[in-house]
Amino acid sequence: MNQVVVHPERCVGCMQCMLACATAHSRNGTLFGATLERPQPKPRIHVGAGRFNEGFPNRCRHCQPAPCQSACLAGAINRIASTGTVMINLDRCINCASCAMACPYGVIRFHEDPFGPPNRPIAVKCDNCSNRVVKGLIPACVEVCKAGALTWEAVDDAMRRKNREVARAMTGEADCPNVPAGVALLKFIKRAELELNER
Amino acid sequence: MKHVIIGNGIAGVSAAEVIRELDATAAITMIGDETFPPYSRPMISYVLEGSQSHAKLPIRSADFYNELGIEPILGQRAAGIEVESCQVVLANGATVPYDRLLIATGADPRPIKADGLGLKNIFYMRTQAHAAAQVAALDNARKAVVLGGGLVGFKAAYGLLKRGLAVTMLITSGYPLAMQVDLVAGQMILAEMVRHGLTVEVGVTVQGFAGSKRVEAVVTDTGRLLDCDLVIIGKGVLPCRDFIPKDRVEVDLGVVVDEYLQTSAANIYAAGDVAELHDLARDCRWVNALWPEAANQGRVAGYNMAGIRLAYPGSLSRNVMRVFDLDVLTVGNTDPRDEDGFVTVSTGGQANRFYRRLVIKEDRLVGAVLIGDIEQGGVLRALIENRTPLRLPAERLLRPGFNFGQLL
Repeated sequence: MNQVVVHPERCVGCMQCMLACATAHSRNGTLFGATLERPQPKPRIHVGAGRFNEGFPNRCRHCQPAPCQSACLAGAINRIASTGTVMINLDRCINCASCAMACPYGVIRFHEDPFGPPNRPIAVKCDNCSNRVVKGLIPACVEVCKAGALTWEAVDDAMRRKNREVARAMTGEADCPNVPAGVALLKFIKRAELELNER
Repeated sequence: MKHVIIGNGIAGVSAAEVIRELDATAAITMIGDETFPPYSRPMISYVLEGSQSHAKLPIRSADFYNELGIEPILGQRAAGIEVESCQVVLANGATVPYDRLLIATGADPRPIKADGLGLKNIFYMRTQAHAAAQVAALDNARKAVVLGGGLVGFKAAYGLLKRGLAVTMLITSGYPLAMQVDLVAGQMILAEMVRHGLTVEVGVTVQGFAGSKRVEAVVTDTGRLLDCDLVIIGKGVLPCRDFIPKDRVEVDLGVVVDEYLQTSAANIYAAGDVAELHDLARDCRWVNALWPEAANQGRVAGYNMAGIRLAYPGSLSRNVMRVFDLDVLTVGNTDPRDEDGFVTVSTGGQANRFYRRLVIKEDRLVGAVLIGDIEQGGVLRALIENRTPLRLPAERLLRPGFNFGQLL
């Protein structure tokens, strides 16, 4: 079963995934159309600045068990067994924000959604692009990521690849670095800038 | 193995579900005072304010007991526990034997002593039945008085304001939610409520209620009359533990349990609003009568009753609420008044309609209050609950852009 796997070390903070996510969750389906829609479609992946100002793509991990699910006062959060996706039932959600208290990653937002009930804010988070995946598409954030920070693959495969990369780096066979040189340079510059500012 | 669970609130329901998950054949009996299907107790305040219908309260199927193969004994309270012979005594004198017992009796509204309590339109706020009765009384109500400014009183006052009633709240502290938030946050919440029409009276003691059939006024100890046609008593809750033999089971404010949620008596466990256990932020025993706590404790108690040793590291107070246009999130020990060794940092305040306050002890976060931008509250909650040593200066956690990535 494929999942969105996040590789934060590769994120350059371009926020393309946020735009693609908001577009994928708009009624119009195109970026420019989405900007004109009301309520405004909003991203469900959030690129924030990490400790050293590096990009950090933050999205729902679809935890198992999911703390948001057990904290939901309205019984509005459930898991789709076939895909493992944790979903918020927009009809049952009462916008109480108990899930914000429960989520250890801070990835749930509260606002009106183009597909939600009219004039009523609800909890909104990543749905693994379920509507795209049933059509044979991959999640929008993965499709648009050019840095390889978001991939669509089986977690076991991602884990094996990562293990190999780490092993190679440890044994000095680092001729193919696990982070591209350009990304590493960008992160280095951001960190240096920050350290200079804080001096 | 025969499991008996006293209480059909979320702690009891969660425990029963876990036991059934782990043991398909165990006998499970649930004794419950309420006959309504398992429902979301915190949602009754949404029913009062009118944003949700009463029909949305159930969070399990109406056939819950049957589906899980549970023998329900509903509409009855436990009247005693015979620890030696391992049985629960019901109010009608019947006995229910157990191999493992869970006390998940929850809490009752803290009663008040006053004259005229039998008048119509005087309500407590604890059950779906209370909420239904309150809503039914709204049609002819214009002026309400709410007793208490804690969580219950606050929710009652907020709901009635949302319904367009003129509400007077009688509180003993200078601001509502004094147990949940610090002075600055409390005054922000108070100001927001007052902006929407709330009247607050501090330090008023209620002597009784006046009226012919229906309540018409609250009588204070100074003899003053506060006109009203509806009263909600929201003075907090008390654990339901009077039926427990205190010489056999250790009882303090609540039923004292260890990290496996076991009481001092063999094969008897307790969870939820009735349980008193280690509080992670306060570092002492505490009753945290909160729904998410009850759900989590119920599950862990279920594991232990089913024979799988599972520790519950401790409870943690936490609350999140919308106060008109203010979003408020509080967690842990937010106001360590007389204790040493705490450092607090804060940003924002009344003028900003935005506020963040963090309470730190040694190198760990123990409390947080957020007003506005509450989305990262869960990250802070996890830091407190996991007792994670802070690697960042606390000021970094106050910044608007703070996110999980900064903790890595």
